[in-house]
Amino acid sequence: MAYIVEPDVVRYACMCGLLKPISRLYFCRHCLHLRCGFCVCHEVDSLFCGKCLENLPSTEAKLKKNKCSNCLECPSCHQQLSSKAATVAPKNPEDPKATPKKVIYLCCLNCRWTTRDVGIPDQEVGKSGWPEHENVHTNRLNAIMNHYKKLVLKEKQQQMDKDKKQRKYTTSLAERTGVTASILRKRLGMTELKNPLLEADDLKPAVASKEIVDSIEHLLTTPIKLNDITTIDQRLKLPDWQPTAVDKLYPVHKQLSVKRSLRCRSCEHNVSKPEYSPNSIKFKIQLFAYYHIPEIRIVTVEPLRIGKQCELLIKLINPTQHQTTITILPLEHLDAIQQEDTKVIEDPPETKEPLSFQLLQSSLTSHPRQINAKVGTDVSIPTSSIILPARDDAAEYDDTGETQNFQDDPKLVVFRKSNKAVIKLLVAPMENLELGEEVIAGFTMQHVYTSTIATTTENKEPQKFDHKMKIYLTLGTLVGSQ
Amino acid sequence: MSSKQTPKISSGALVCGDNKMHGDITFGTNSIVHPSCTISAESGPIIFGDTCIIEEQAKIIHRVPFYRTDKNPVMFIGSNNVFEIDCTVEAAKIGNNNIFEPKCFVGNKVTITDGCVIGAGCVLTDEQVLPKNTIVHGSGCKQREALDQPNPQFGLMDTLMRLLPNYHHIRKPIKKP
Amino acid sequence: MEMRDIEYNKSSYVETSLGNKVSRQTILCGSQNIVLQGKVIVQQDSIIRGDLGNVRTGRYCIISKDVVIRPAHKKFSKGVAFFPLNIGDHVYIGEKSIVNAAMVGSYVYIGKNCVIGRRCQLKDCCVIEDNTVLAPETVVPSFTRYSGNPGVQVDDVPECQMDLMVDFTRSYYQHFVPEKRSKVES
Repeated sequence: MAYIVEPDVVRYACMCGLLKPISRLYFCRHCLHLRCGFCVCHEVDSLFCGKCLENLPSTEAKLKKNKCSNCLECPSCHQQLSSKAATVAPKNPEDPKATPKKVIYLCCLNCRWTTRDVGIPDQEVGKSGWPEHENVHTNRLNAIMNHYKKLVLKEKQQQMDKDKKQRKYTTSLAERTGVTASILRKRLGMTELKNPLLEADDLKPAVASKEIVDSIEHLLTTPIKLNDITTIDQRLKLPDWQPTAVDKLYPVHKQLSVKRSLRCRSCEHNVSKPEYSPNSIKFKIQLFAYYHIPEIRIVTVEPLRIGKQCELLIKLINPTQHQTTITILPLEHLDAIQQEDTKVIEDPPETKEPLSFQLLQSSLTSHPRQINAKVGTDVSIPTSSIILPARDDAAEYDDTGETQNFQDDPKLVVFRKSNKAVIKLLVAPMENLELGEEVIAGFTMQHVYTSTIATTTENKEPQKFDHKMKIYLTLGTLVGSQ
Repeated sequence: MSSKQTPKISSGALVCGDNKMHGDITFGTNSIVHPSCTISAESGPIIFGDTCIIEEQAKIIHRVPFYRTDKNPVMFIGSNNVFEIDCTVEAAKIGNNNIFEPKCFVGNKVTITDGCVIGAGCVLTDEQVLPKNTIVHGSGCKQREALDQPNPQFGLMDTLMRLLPNYHHIRKPIKKP
Repeated sequence: MEMRDIEYNKSSYVETSLGNKVSRQTILCGSQNIVLQGKVIVQQDSIIRGDLGNVRTGRYCIISKDVVIRPAHKKFSKGVAFFPLNIGDHVYIGEKSIVNAAMVGSYVYIGKNCVIGRRCQLKDCCVIEDNTVLAPETVVPSFTRYSGNPGVQVDDVPECQMDLMVDFTRSYYQHFVPEKRSKVES
């Protein structure tokens, strides 16, 4: 629940310096760093319609302007439209052979808008597709678009010519001899090929008109019926027409949704890759922090008072299949290490060129931003570490209450069950805090991460790494002083 | 008014047993009352028209505003009205063919005419008369006018008439003299 | 935050052999048509309309107080039919919500005071925030978070929603314990 609707009280510092709950973080197991949604590359894997859940190839989606061809939305309240069947009396009731015709019209089940409201004719059963509402300016828009495409091409050509002049040492044989394809064509007496896009077009610029077509006089003389006027939302939903009256509203096609995969920025390995099917909730690659990093939950906090040591119980959960050791260290501990780290990062980490996104290279060396959290309490750092056994799904059903033999410091570890342990920390809110202010505690957590990727063939033993990260806990408000 | 007064149920109406009813209540023919709804005639009698559907947890309360001094006011509810799950309706005058969607609230100063739809979660408390075919929807209680009235749900009523007696204790309608 | 214990009065609950905990103060209409797969909690004053159609819940479903679960109906040319309502595993339905859906997937979180309109389809791993009203026939795709009236997509859901919901419903079940006092008496 904590991660679904409640405020985030336990936040982990991502590599980029943002604080996020563990459910929103990823853990790249190749470069052993926490990553959040802002420091991974997002790639569109598949496009689908959120209503009919049909997959669309990206080329087709582009052609349809990323909209579903079957599903329509209500122009009045932007909910999905449903088709409704109705029977219509035959045209000539005298004819005894005529049977009532079955027709379909679209209806919004939220605001009860129907296609009949704006006079869109009903469709016969079996016929698919609704008439598209054409923009009256389609030709003009297409002409303008073509014109701009030409401009882009022209500019590119000019840039290329410029580059050619600047380059002194030519490398290609054709250029050294001065015989290019176009010169060759000339010598042979052929006409020069022209790019149809480069030809000048006869686009007439728009002319400003002096007259205002819509007279606003009626606005001043007749009372306004609010039910007949569209809202701003409704107008913006139909950018082509922007109708002002409700009888000009037409259904809009539903925007497509995407499934995306995420890629670590520095090593280009995937951290999340969903299955293609829109119905599937499974992942091919799922390197979520929730599966690899020990989870911390606040169990209880004593009322916080200035200058008083308050008990803080936190629960540590090991989600991995390997035993881990957790050590709590002061916040500053990681700062010192990170300063060294950033120096290393500034140099390109590897000479290997990334597969793509060369443009992103510059952003790879970005410095982590300042962590935006005001720590308002000291945390007593325990001297001993806590060993957490591996997660065992079978233990959930085991009620025998097995005892584990861990040499725990009884002052530190309060309670222990399978892969979970509750530890006790002491926090002392600082003097400079005001009453009612939110108290944030921070510390560095170090845990042993067991990597399961076999780096070399002879090295079959899983490698172990010490991974450190900063944790910020929002403990609640200050209730008073001692 | 004694709270033990039994409601007057016209023949053909189907009223489930497990619901709270207080005061003088009259149901028209072919009405369907689901279990566990509350109908309370505090200020005066409530008279339902024909073919109304009252779903579970619906609260229909006749509670006139304190400044009204008319003696023994009657709450008239027309025909073909649907009171959906967990709606609260206190309007003293309701026409025909209206739908009160789940969790809507209609206060006692509101008058509902015909063919109105009060959308789910909409709250109407100010003194007003909803014109015919008004549709209230969304968080801001936006209003729009519909082309025609919602169709009465005869098909649904047939199915309910068949299903409900199999599972519920049914209050007996009064025999017409 | 670690979940706190939620205490209930032992005498007012029935516990079945499958581990379902059902309050005695519920209205289960047509109980022969209601299937609770196991470890399901049904709290007081909730209504499940099994009389209108079959209702089937998965394992570890939590149905809070004052919830109404009601199969949806659809008009056909030959009359009205009620659809059976299937609810997946690890589903939480908050207090005072009305579920009139055609289908509720697994790992779905429905907040308090929501209205899930007629024939809605809630796919796996979606979140409906408190006080949302979903218009009838809305399809909520996986990994989306819906809010508002009418409900629209406002955000996405973390990819590990499945495990979050498994953990949440399991710990809810574990923390749903009888009152200490009634324990002593028995």
